[in-house]
Amino acid sequence: MNKPLFLKRLLEIIPGGLSWSIIILLIALAFLNPVSCAVIIISFDFYWIIRTVYLTILLVMAHQRLFQQKNENWLKACQGLSLRLGFAQLYQVVIFPVYNEGLEVLRPSLAALSASDYPQDKIIVVMAFEERSLEARKHASILEKEFSGKFGAYLSTFHPDGLPQEGRTKGANATWAAKEARKLLDARSITYEQAVVSCFDADTCVDREYFACLAYHFLTSEKRHQASYQPMPVYNNNIWQAPFFARLVEISSTFCQMIESMRLEKFVTFSSHSMSFKTLVEIDYWPTNMISDDSVIYWKSYLYYNGDYRVIPLYVTVSLDVAYSSNIWRTIVVQYKQKRRWAWGVENFPFVVSGFIKNKNIKLSNKIRRSFHLLESHVTWAVWAVILVVIGPLPAVFGGSFFNQTAIAYNLPKITGLLFKFTLYTSLTWIFLSWTILPPRPKGTSWLKHVFLIAEWVFVPLIILVIGSVPALDAQTRLMLAKYMEFNPTLKGNKML
Amino acid sequence: MYTFQKIRSLLFFLSVLLFCTGLPVILSYALGYKFNTRSFKFVKTGLIFIKTQPAQSQIYLNNRLIPEKTPASIQELLPGSYKITLALEEHYPWEGQVEVEAGKASRVDKVILFSKRPSLQQLSREKFSSFRVDQERKMVYYLDQEKKLVYRSNLDASDLEDIASLPDSFSQINGWEISPDRKKLFIFNYRQINVIHFDVQNDYEYPLAPVFLEYPQSKVLAVFWHSDSYHLVVFTDKHVQVAESRPGALPVNLVELNKAGPDAFYDTKEDVLYFSDTQRNSAGILQNNLYKLELSADLDLLQRLINPPFSQPKPAAKEELSE
Repeated sequence: MNKPLFLKRLLEIIPGGLSWSIIILLIALAFLNPVSCAVIIISFDFYWIIRTVYLTILLVMAHQRLFQQKNENWLKACQGLSLRLGFAQLYQVVIFPVYNEGLEVLRPSLAALSASDYPQDKIIVVMAFEERSLEARKHASILEKEFSGKFGAYLSTFHPDGLPQEGRTKGANATWAAKEARKLLDARSITYEQAVVSCFDADTCVDREYFACLAYHFLTSEKRHQASYQPMPVYNNNIWQAPFFARLVEISSTFCQMIESMRLEKFVTFSSHSMSFKTLVEIDYWPTNMISDDSVIYWKSYLYYNGDYRVIPLYVTVSLDVAYSSNIWRTIVVQYKQKRRWAWGVENFPFVVSGFIKNKNIKLSNKIRRSFHLLESHVTWAVWAVILVVIGPLPAVFGGSFFNQTAIAYNLPKITGLLFKFTLYTSLTWIFLSWTILPPRPKGTSWLKHVFLIAEWVFVPLIILVIGSVPALDAQTRLMLAKYMEFNPTLKGNKML
Repeated sequence: MYTFQKIRSLLFFLSVLLFCTGLPVILSYALGYKFNTRSFKFVKTGLIFIKTQPAQSQIYLNNRLIPEKTPASIQELLPGSYKITLALEEHYPWEGQVEVEAGKASRVDKVILFSKRPSLQQLSREKFSSFRVDQERKMVYYLDQEKKLVYRSNLDASDLEDIASLPDSFSQINGWEISPDRKKLFIFNYRQINVIHFDVQNDYEYPLAPVFLEYPQSKVLAVFWHSDSYHLVVFTDKHVQVAESRPGALPVNLVELNKAGPDAFYDTKEDVLYFSDTQRNSAGILQNNLYKLELSADLDLLQRLINPPFSQPKPAAKEELSE
């Protein structure tokens, strides 16, 4: 095995190896030295409670910012900006990578775009279809008829299948579309500095003021080209229709993203996001052979700018579909696969660390800090629920009579129970906040649904069990064993996305 | 955003501080360590966990009342022996000596504090000789040897009814039992077994006349109902027999006994009889052996034995279980 390949495999093995080592070690300790295991469990529980309370406070702060900025008139703010900042010349390139999504998914996304308060002649829409998709041409033609006159420019692109160095990924399609958009910008003599590109999931419905908010932040930020702009994803498109399980998971995802927006030193792009077109061209577009293109684009930029690259949170929402299926079991499977795909973001670790090794201009402390954050977040994701739910009771079960006579055996459930009482208060906060971000109740939906929306939070422990750690552990194990995942679009609202 | 980041940094450092200071406290508490303010040293302590039934009893530790009430754990006790007294009003107190070891939990969790005024209730004012409680059907059966009557009531004795009359000729009842289907009972003494059907609606296909089984040559030690509520398993000093509970039925000797012991147990669920018998061992010494006789699997055999010839009882096979 040559050296680069060996390094790549080593870095691929580290996250999964670490997660499995922690789990196996703790299980072995529960048998061999239950007192030590109990000490670790209590320490972890205490750490987890403090972390939960800390993150909940961050969530409240992010929520406050979201509601503060919701009432801002961003367009007016942009128009009030100095002329030299160039709002009047700023173009928005919006790329929708499409695979098999039907018109019922694509139409609302384009309709939301056309309802934006941003000058429509400055919006360039690129519907990026896959050539291999059977209905691509038909859908492209229908949508062109309906929407092409509403924007400054409207392009339909068809990404050829099987190009060299490419996987069947969303990033490959988005890259093809961005290159086509580049030709259009060149043809219209629009410089890349004048364009902001947004890469949206096909089901993304932007808020009316999204582009104005984006433009304001883009124009007023220092080193505007060295930043990505991340809106808050909410899953409001079909949240009232989605089953409780999927709804809870997606609300939790929104909350996680909101929390991350408060931790700027760790903040990474996720799902639908925007950035300078100039930067996109300079870093050679999205990766064409990686599944987690949304986060890898950030890391590519970070490496390209020698660590001087950041993600700026936009406290404005983009609404997506909740992924669900026809019954609860299928929904669990759909959600599991989606979370596993997200957890496949662990592929960023070898990408980033090998990038750090090659790049001599990034400070070592930054390299260590960012690598540690990346590794820690993925390993924690893979082990936390296992430690709390599976390993927690093991010392008492397998500790034997000697352990059960010890003070710690008696105190373990008592302390754990007491600590977790604190999570009740954080849960109440989460319930309240989830209620505030809900879209208006659709006509014909009983007000009792509000009560159900609150009551269904009792199922959180079940959700933790099913999709807490297992998808992450699954993804890391696959990476560890070099069983690379392929991009599988998620089933959302009974439609493939 | 800058202000938010400052608050966040402050929160982060507070969280780290809380973790670093709180964890040693929590862990030392969990492991049973206590800081001795006099010696300025950590000492390893133990704890006593006390649980009583009923709860909320007062706890005296070495004759000193402590604020906690049961269930409670008395933490941070130095190793040694402690006198525990548990007191609850109107209940008998409990007292005991408990050893506390460093880092260990001593449990006093099987304490029942019995009431000084037990809940005693007179259920029945009727006169009777003996009774049986049927937990499954929540009934009580009474036998009045004087009036020669059998009664039945619910568990509160509030719904008493006559259900059968005993034969006048039957003197001295040694034992009785209600059949599993609760439609009849047997009574027996050393020489006689009598099956009496209740005076209530029944769906038997066979006659309901009283059944008398006479034992002039042997002594009836115990009688049991077979689970079919029709056969009787009779344990005499000479044989283990089965007999149908119908007039004129001839019993079948299943096992011949040498010298039956006083004990026999019948498992009605499995239809198995456990009994003891005396046998001479290889050294020529008499000793008691335990036997198990299965009557469920061989029910067909049992019917063949009983029904066709009604002839001489066959010599019974003896199954030895243990020596």
